[in-house]
Amino acid sequence: MNLKTRKLAELDRVIHEPGRLMIVALLSAVEQADFLYLQHETEMNKGTLSSHLSKLEDAGYVEVTKTYRGKIPQTLLRLTAEGRQAFAQYRRRMKEAL
Amino acid sequence: MNNGLEEMTMDQIEKLVRRPALYNNVDGVGELGLGFLLLGCGLPASLPIQSPIWHKWGSFVWFMVLIAVIHYGSKAIKEHITYPRTGFVEYRKQKARRWLSFTLGGVTAIAAWGLAHFARSHSDLVGSHWGMTTPVALIGLVIVVFYVLHIVSVVRWKWAVAAAMAICSVAIAMLPAGVVGGVAGSTSAVATLSERSFGAWLLTITIYGAIFLISGGISFVLYLRHTQPAAETAE
Repeated sequence: MNLKTRKLAELDRVIHEPGRLMIVALLSAVEQADFLYLQHETEMNKGTLSSHLSKLEDAGYVEVTKTYRGKIPQTLLRLTAEGRQAFAQYRRRMKEAL
Repeated sequence: MNNGLEEMTMDQIEKLVRRPALYNNVDGVGELGLGFLLLGCGLPASLPIQSPIWHKWGSFVWFMVLIAVIHYGSKAIKEHITYPRTGFVEYRKQKARRWLSFTLGGVTAIAAWGLAHFARSHSDLVGSHWGMTTPVALIGLVIVVFYVLHIVSVVRWKWAVAAAMAICSVAIAMLPAGVVGGVAGSTSAVATLSERSFGAWLLTITIYGAIFLISGGISFVLYLRHTQPAAETAE
């Protein structure tokens, strides 16, 4: 196995999936954002987005907080320290591999 | 944007990382605020007010009121219009970035002041008219470059806005000395700057303010047309 292939094989599979990669990339640039923002930016439907967020939450990369903005329910999402570290490492490895 | 079904390139990832910063002006509120700020600074400065009380306190109070209106007005639009339609974003508070903004603002202000005074004291060297208005036009063009890099790269029709600003900067530099000086003729600020320098500043601030206001207003109307408040369903 050459170095490039090995670098690609080392990529974090949770983040490497394109849908989740979009979510993590967007969240990496902010403190937190709500579900609606992610849905608007990624153009995913609610079910798909929820499914990806669950996987990221299970991996400990995203923290989900259910709250209210006035009387409207709001789901806030933020990358955990572990998530930020994993994304930084993913970018580094991708740059090395490409 | 793809729906995440294909492999993403590194370039696409970097673009995604930059997207939240651009979201701040998705509704045109950033430009509206900047437009109000520039017009709010430019218009009172062009009034022939000679009262020392105005210069000591009035302008300060006016500026504070202006900042408060822009701050709370933008916040209200975001809370009641933008967040319910396209979502809420809280940006990261980065100390280094804040210091960079302060430093850049300070350097720009010092450079502008220095250029104006250099032009005033060396008018024989750099030419009586061009020396006064060219620095102002150059700073205007620097603003256009920043605008192109940050806004135009995402919203294509804003090329027209950038072009309008660039044309105005060049036009101000080419205006006859009498016209530029006449703009500042009756204001008291000419005590510290030459009439032509102050006139060029005033024209630039006012025209840029009007352009930002129009551009922000168009963005805001387009945003309202293309978005709807989200339905309240489970997430």
